[in-house]
Amino acid sequence: MKITTMFSDIWQSIWQRPITQRYPFERRETPDRLRGKLHWNPQNCTGCALCNKDCPAEAIEIISIDKKEKRFVMKYHLDRCTYCGQCVESCRFKCIELSAKEWELAATEKRPFTIIYGTDDNLKEFMAKFADAKTESAQA
Amino acid sequence: MDTVVNVAALLFFPGGLFVITAGLFYEWIDRKIIARLQNRIGPRWFQPFADTVKLLAKEEVVPEKVNPFFFVALPLAALAGALTAALYVPMAGLKPAFSFPGDLIVTVYLLGLLTLCTGLAGANARGRFSLVGATRTLTQFFAYEAPFLLALLGPAIAAGSWQISEITAYAETHPWVLLSQPIGFIVAMIGLMGKLELPPFDSPEAETEIVAGALTEYSGRGLAIFHLGKGVELVIGLTLITSFYLGGLANPLDFLLKTIGLLLVMTIPQSLMTRLRIDQTVGLWWRYGALLVLVQWLVLFAWQIV
Amino acid sequence: MTAVITPKKEKFIVPIGPQHPALKEPGHFEFAVDGEIVTDATVRLGYVHRGIEKGTEARTWTQNLYLVERICGICSHIHALTYALGVEVLAEVEAPPRAQAIRVLVAELERIHSHLLWFGVAAHEAGFDTLFMYSWRDRETIMDILEALTGNRVNYSANVLGGVKFDVTDAQRKVILEGINFLEERTHHYLNVVTTDSMFLQRTRGIGVTRLQDAQRLGIVGPTARASGVMRDVRVDAPYAAYVNFPIHMVVETAGDLEARFIVRLKELFESFRLIREILDNLPPGDLQVKRFPRRIKPGEVISRVEAPRGEVFYYIRSTGSENPDRVKVRTPTLCNMASVLSLSIGHHLADIPMLLVGIDPCFSCNDRGVAICTSDGGHDSWTWERLRQFGIDYYANKV
Repeated sequence: MKITTMFSDIWQSIWQRPITQRYPFERRETPDRLRGKLHWNPQNCTGCALCNKDCPAEAIEIISIDKKEKRFVMKYHLDRCTYCGQCVESCRFKCIELSAKEWELAATEKRPFTIIYGTDDNLKEFMAKFADAKTESAQA
Repeated sequence: MDTVVNVAALLFFPGGLFVITAGLFYEWIDRKIIARLQNRIGPRWFQPFADTVKLLAKEEVVPEKVNPFFFVALPLAALAGALTAALYVPMAGLKPAFSFPGDLIVTVYLLGLLTLCTGLAGANARGRFSLVGATRTLTQFFAYEAPFLLALLGPAIAAGSWQISEITAYAETHPWVLLSQPIGFIVAMIGLMGKLELPPFDSPEAETEIVAGALTEYSGRGLAIFHLGKGVELVIGLTLITSFYLGGLANPLDFLLKTIGLLLVMTIPQSLMTRLRIDQTVGLWWRYGALLVLVQWLVLFAWQIV
Repeated sequence: MTAVITPKKEKFIVPIGPQHPALKEPGHFEFAVDGEIVTDATVRLGYVHRGIEKGTEARTWTQNLYLVERICGICSHIHALTYALGVEVLAEVEAPPRAQAIRVLVAELERIHSHLLWFGVAAHEAGFDTLFMYSWRDRETIMDILEALTGNRVNYSANVLGGVKFDVTDAQRKVILEGINFLEERTHHYLNVVTTDSMFLQRTRGIGVTRLQDAQRLGIVGPTARASGVMRDVRVDAPYAAYVNFPIHMVVETAGDLEARFIVRLKELFESFRLIREILDNLPPGDLQVKRFPRRIKPGEVISRVEAPRGEVFYYIRSTGSENPDRVKVRTPTLCNMASVLSLSIGHHLADIPMLLVGIDPCFSCNDRGVAICTSDGGHDSWTWERLRQFGIDYYANKV
C-alpha cells in the first residue's frame, strides 16, 4: 500500500529554492531566436511589399514617398502583429528582423502601437504629407 | 465586572478577534508550507486577510428560491458556534475562559455545528452543485465526527475526567500521551483533517467536480464568514490535539511551537496524496479508522484494569 | 378499480460547463445523476467555434499557414504541418529531407510538451495537486527548449510552405539532449507514481474501461484507442515527413481503463525521447527550403493525415488555381473521442466524471468545426444561410 511515491520530490523541495522566477526582479536571458518587436532597415528595400502581402495580420504597410527613387516608409502595427516571422522569410533582401531583446511591449495607450520606420528625410516628408497628430515616428 | 470580563473574553480573547486572527495566520502557514513543498513560493503573510477583506467588499448575491433568513443566518450561526468553542479550550497556553465538567463534548459539538451549518446552507441554496456538496459534507460529517471524538476521549479516560482543563492538567504533569496512545494520536490527526475537509479528504468541496460544494452559491459576506469559521476550527482543533496528546500547553510560546509543529506534520499528507472519492473516504474511515480507535480503547481499558 | 398514479421520476441533472473548473475550455455536458451514480449523459459543443475554415478561404496560402496554426495552442505545429504537407502535395513540390527531419523533431518536442501538460491537468482533476505542480515544472524544460529552437513557446511558426525557417545549431543540440536526459529521468519517476501509488490507483484503475470492440465501434483514435488495444497510429500506418526514415514503435496497452491511458501516454514520451536522439544524431544535410514555392497552387484536392498528440488530424484541402484555397476542412481527434465519454460515463460515480473527461485529452478549440449530418439512407443535406436562419427563428418561436 504505497502512498509516499512523491515523497522524494517533497523532501528535495524543502532544501531547494522555489523554482518560480521572481519576475520582474529577476529576468532571464532570452534566446537569440526569440521573435519580438520588428525592426526595418530601409537600405535595401525595393518596395516589393511581399511582407505586406504575406503578413497574416496585415500589420505591415509599405507607403511610398517616391517609387522610382525607392524611397519608402513602413508603418508597423505592433498590436496586430502575431510575431510569426513570415515577413522575415518573405523579404528577399533581408530588410526585416525581429528583435530578441524587445518583447515587453505592453502599453497603456494606443499611441505606441503604431510605429513608422524610415530614414530621416523620408520620415520628414511622410509626416508633412500624411501624418496626423496620432502617429509617432521612430528611426529605423 | 464579571460580565465585562466575560464579554471581553467572548469578543477579544480567547474568542472573537484573537482566534479569528489566529485562524488567518494558521491558514497562511498551511498554504505557505504546502507551496514550498511543491517547489513554489506561496502567498505573502497578509494573503488570507486580504482575501477576507476582498470578500467582504463584494456584493452578496442571494439566489432566487432560497429561504433568505436561513441564507443569511447560517454563516453567522456557524461562526458563532466556532467562536464559542474557543472559550473552552486552553487558547494560547492560558487557562480556558470558562470550564465545567463535560465541556469536551460541548466543544466538539460546537465545532460540529459549523459543518452542520455548511451542509444546511448547501441544502438551502438548492443549486445542483450545492445539493451534491451538501450531501457529501453531511456524509463526511457523520463519518469523521465519531472517531475524532473517540480519539479525543482516549486521554480523557486516562485523565479520568471529561473537563478540558482537567485533562490538560493531567497531560502537563504526565509524560506525553502521544507515547502511550500513538494510535489514538494518528486517528485524532486524520480525524481533524477529515473534519476540516483538508486534502485528501476534500471531496465535499472538490473544486474540479462540484465547483465549491455546499458553498457554491455563497459570495461576499456569507462566504467570508464561512471562511473565517474554517480558520477558527483549524486553530481550535490543533489546540485540542496538542493539549491532549503533546503534553499540555504551558505558555504562549509552547502553544505556538506545538501547534505550528502539528500543522507542519499535517501538511505532509496534504501534499502527498490525491483526493479520495466520497465513498472511498467513508469506506476508509469506517474500515480502518474506527477499527484503530477501538483497538486503542481496548488497550487503554486493559491497561486501566491492570 | 382505483388508478395508481406514480409520479414521474424527475432527473437530477448536474451540468458540467460551459464554465466549470473541471474543463479548461467551454463545452456543455449534462449528466443525469441518481445519488452519486450517473444514469444518462448528453453533450453540447460549439462554444469555441470561430469560423476558421471560412477564414481560410479569404486568405492566401501563406497567410493560412499561420491561421491554421492557431486552431489549437497545444497542437499548433501539427496543424501547420498537416496543412503544409497537403499544400506541398498539391503544388507537386517536396520539402528537402533536412527540413522534413526538423519538422519531425519539432513535432516530437510538441508531443512531449502536450503529454506533460495533459499529465498535470489529469493529476489536478484527480485532486493530486502536487503531481500537477511537479509535472508542469518539468514541462518548463521543454518550453525553454522550444523557445530556444523556434523562437516562441507556443505557436512555433516553424513551417513555411516548402520547408522550415531555421536550423538546429550545435549549441541547441546540446541543450536539447540535456533537457531530454533530465526529462527521461522524471518520466521514469512519473511512471512509477502512476503505477504504484495506491491512492492514485484507486482513482484510475478499473475506471472507464473501454473494451477493444467498443473502441473500434465508436471510432476512437489516438492514445485513448491505443490504451484499449487498437493498433492505430498514423505515424506507423501511413508515415509522413521524416517518419519514413525514422520509424516509430507503437505503444499499446490492453486494459482500456484510465490507468492504461496514463501508461500509454507516458510510454509514448519514451518513444519521443528515443526518436529525438536518433534525429539529432542523423540529421540529413541539405537545404532548409525549396528555392521557389508557387504563389498560385494548381487546381486539385488533397487529403493529409498526421498523428497529433491526441490522435489523428485530418485535413482536406481543395484548390481551384487561385491564390486562396477553395476549401479547407479540418477534422480533429477530440471530435472522435467525445462520444466515447458519453457512453462510458453511465454507471460511474459523479466524482469520476472529470477523470473520464480528461482521459480522452479533450481539446475543445480543435473540436468546433462544421459537422455534416448524414441521413440514414447515405445521402447528406446541406443548408443555405437562409434556411439555417429560418430554422433558428422557428425553433425559438415553437419553444416559447
